[in-house]
Amino acid sequence: MKIKVKSWTSVAWWKWIANDENCGICRMAFENCCPDCSFAGDDCPLVWGHCSHVFHMHCICKWLNSQLNQQLCPMCRQTWRFNDR
Amino acid sequence: MEGSWNKLKFCFPIISHKLEYNETNREKLDELCKELISLNVLDEITQMLCLEIQNTLLKQIVPEFWKPFFENNLESQSNNKAKQKCEFQIFRNAITQLFRRYQLLNRIMVQVKYLESKTGKKLIYNFDEVFKSSLLSQLPDSFTNIVHAFYYVSFKVFINTKADNDDDEEFMEEREECLGCEMLQLKCQCQELVNAFGEINLCLTKMGLLDRISGYTLTHLIQNEIYNHIQKTCKGNFDTQHLKNLEKWLDTIVLEWLTRIYNNGSSKLDPTNTKIRESINCFQMKLKYFLYEKYANSIIDQFFNIIIEFPESQPAIDDLKLCMEKLDLRAHLVETLKTSLKTRLLHQGVDTCDIITGYVATIKTMRHLEKSGILLQTCTEPVKEYLRKCRQDTVRCVVTSLIEETPSDLAEELARSEAIKAEENERNKDEMNNWQEWSPDPVDAITDSEKHSRNRKSDIISMIVDIYGSKELFVNEYRNLLAERLLINLDFNPEKEIRNLELLKLRFGENLLHSCEVMLRDISDSKRINAHILESETFTSTAEKDEPSVSALIVSSQFWPTFKKETMELPDEMNKIFERYKKSYEEYKGNRTLCWSALNGKVNIEIEINDKKLDLTVTPAQATIIWHFQNQKEWQLDSLSTVINMPPSVLRRRIGFWQLQGLIRETKENLFVLCDEKQQDCEMETQVNVVLDEEETMVSANDQREEELQVFWSYILGMLTNLDSMPLERIHQMLKLFASQGPGFEFSQDELKSFLQRKVREHKLVYALGVYQLPKN
Ligand SMILES: [Zn+2]
Ligand SMILES: [Zn+2]
Ligand SMILES: [Zn+2]
Repeated sequence: MKIKVKSWTSVAWWKWIANDENCGICRMAFENCCPDCSFAGDDCPLVWGHCSHVFHMHCICKWLNSQLNQQLCPMCRQTWRFNDR
Repeated sequence: MEGSWNKLKFCFPIISHKLEYNETNREKLDELCKELISLNVLDEITQMLCLEIQNTLLKQIVPEFWKPFFENNLESQSNNKAKQKCEFQIFRNAITQLFRRYQLLNRIMVQVKYLESKTGKKLIYNFDEVFKSSLLSQLPDSFTNIVHAFYYVSFKVFINTKADNDDDEEFMEEREECLGCEMLQLKCQCQELVNAFGEINLCLTKMGLLDRISGYTLTHLIQNEIYNHIQKTCKGNFDTQHLKNLEKWLDTIVLEWLTRIYNNGSSKLDPTNTKIRESINCFQMKLKYFLYEKYANSIIDQFFNIIIEFPESQPAIDDLKLCMEKLDLRAHLVETLKTSLKTRLLHQGVDTCDIITGYVATIKTMRHLEKSGILLQTCTEPVKEYLRKCRQDTVRCVVTSLIEETPSDLAEELARSEAIKAEENERNKDEMNNWQEWSPDPVDAITDSEKHSRNRKSDIISMIVDIYGSKELFVNEYRNLLAERLLINLDFNPEKEIRNLELLKLRFGENLLHSCEVMLRDISDSKRINAHILESETFTSTAEKDEPSVSALIVSSQFWPTFKKETMELPDEMNKIFERYKKSYEEYKGNRTLCWSALNGKVNIEIEINDKKLDLTVTPAQATIIWHFQNQKEWQLDSLSTVINMPPSVLRRRIGFWQLQGLIRETKENLFVLCDEKQQDCEMETQVNVVLDEEETMVSANDQREEELQVFWSYILGMLTNLDSMPLERIHQMLKLFASQGPGFEFSQDELKSFLQRKVREHKLVYALGVYQLPKN
């Protein structure tokens, strides 16, 4: 017997490579979008901080904007700095 | 004394029991009077004469009048037409004779009255009253039959003379018989019958007997003719309005005939004769209401058929609407419709989809009948309840027909969403402005009217969704179906689905349908990503020659229904390719990776075996299984289970697919062997024969065909367990393949289809989106 695979279509789901599953701010899964968005992934990306915490970009920006003086990570209270990975 | 008696006998032969009348002049009568007065017997003689007249009436005239009516009842004539004609004559003769005698007695009475006047006393009864009561006191049972026959014959003749004008002349000439009198055209008696008819009615009128003798029969006859006319012209014919013509028929033909009867043979009413006019008008009113009632009932009795034929049957509904303005038929309609919906739709033998189609047709029809939707709500309550309680696949059927390729009522209705939305907005505006015109619901509105008032006004799709009372449930089912459909048919063109989704959003709101939107977006995104990856440096640079072409559907897991947790190990060759695919993806999307759902997807393989080439589209699991038999012809269930990383029980079920294909068989328990040598096919054959032999001893010749297919049922079950869903063509193709290795019966795709449809009706299969599936438990 000889088998020739002519075409093989598979199914996969995409996943962020992050050391957490949910956004600490909106509590949504990273693979879901922030409450302000309709689509996840490209439309609602994640950002990493130097403290290694990860959030929806929209969520952390909103958070930082709401902070009057200091720009702190809402999880570990360290100064927030974007980590361009 | 002697002389006086002779004079009396001469003037009144009736005193010696002779039914005669002598024209006597006034002098003779005066002379007789004087003599009787002198004898002092005028009072007695006057009374005697009266008694004699009464006796003659009771003992001679009345029995002789009724006699033929009795006689006729005894002999039974086989020919109905001849009998009717005969009865017409009997009636005619009897009335003619009666009238002659009535006139005779009347003349005698005039003379007796003269005698009475000489006595100066009131001695004589009212002759007409006595005449009537004597006649009716001896009424035979069968008399209405003869009266009926008399008027029936006349009615037919009359109808025919009226119809002559309208009918095609050529058509008339072809007939040998006159339609009116049923005699040969040459010997047509119609005119004669019409004359006789007029004459008899005139006699009856003059005797004051018309109503007493004919009234009851006449009413019945006309009602019967109205009923027959309705049945003849309207039954089963819903695509034209009939009411106007029926009314016209009644107002002209029937009324003219009636007028002739009551108006001495003339159809022109004397405007001063208000009495006849009033009684004719009264008759007309009664008959009209009778007509409305009978016609409306005939429509109501056929209501289910009207529903099935809607919108072609719209004219029938328009007619019913007109009748319902005049008569209260709501209760009858509700009862009848409820019953017919129950007997025609709500039982095991009807597919859920057909019930829904019937339900939709009912909604459309009833909506045309009544804007408020109250009757509809009441009539369809049992349908909704039945669907809710007895048919779990309702939502699925609705969703399926909404998104099916072939046009359906619901799909059409969905396409109307935009128009309805606009209409609704317009109406809401109107309602705000015209609140003064609000009118209360009729009393038969079901009590919970507040709750229903909103959806009464809304459209079919909302009414369908209302079966379950929850948009969420409906939308959820839609999402599941959409997901299934997208996963089954991976090279799916989402355009139509996007359009559907837009329409559904109008109905159910963006929020509920958002995940469906993401799913469809995933489809188009995947196509783009696929194209990008397959051309990317990372993917192509390490590609081997003649590598299978791969593609992937990349889904946003949060928005899709949950995938099966189950997994498996792909063949190494495939694994390497998909690893490369994943790498390329990670490079492309940065910080994101792919998790393969190895069991989902579809594989197109070509198998070369025993000089045959099989081109199959199978699931990844099936492809993986057969792949491993390429380099190793025998596998222990356990070891293959370890290699593929699939539980043995599941693996065994999936191997079943290849056993059906005749490529693998289980030679010993848990040992599966590739059948790549010809002689091993025989084994299969004997196996099937054994099954068949058992079946054949049990079934009668009639059931043979069904039973032959029944043999395949277990194989169909096996296929569907493994493949999840298959279209008819595939099942047929596979069974043919299998049958070619078995005893080789031939069966057409249509035969298979009706077999599978029966299984669907038995709820052993589910048919949706053009594929058969096993019902989900
Ligand atoms: Zn967030
Ligand atoms: Zn966002
Ligand atoms: Zn932090």
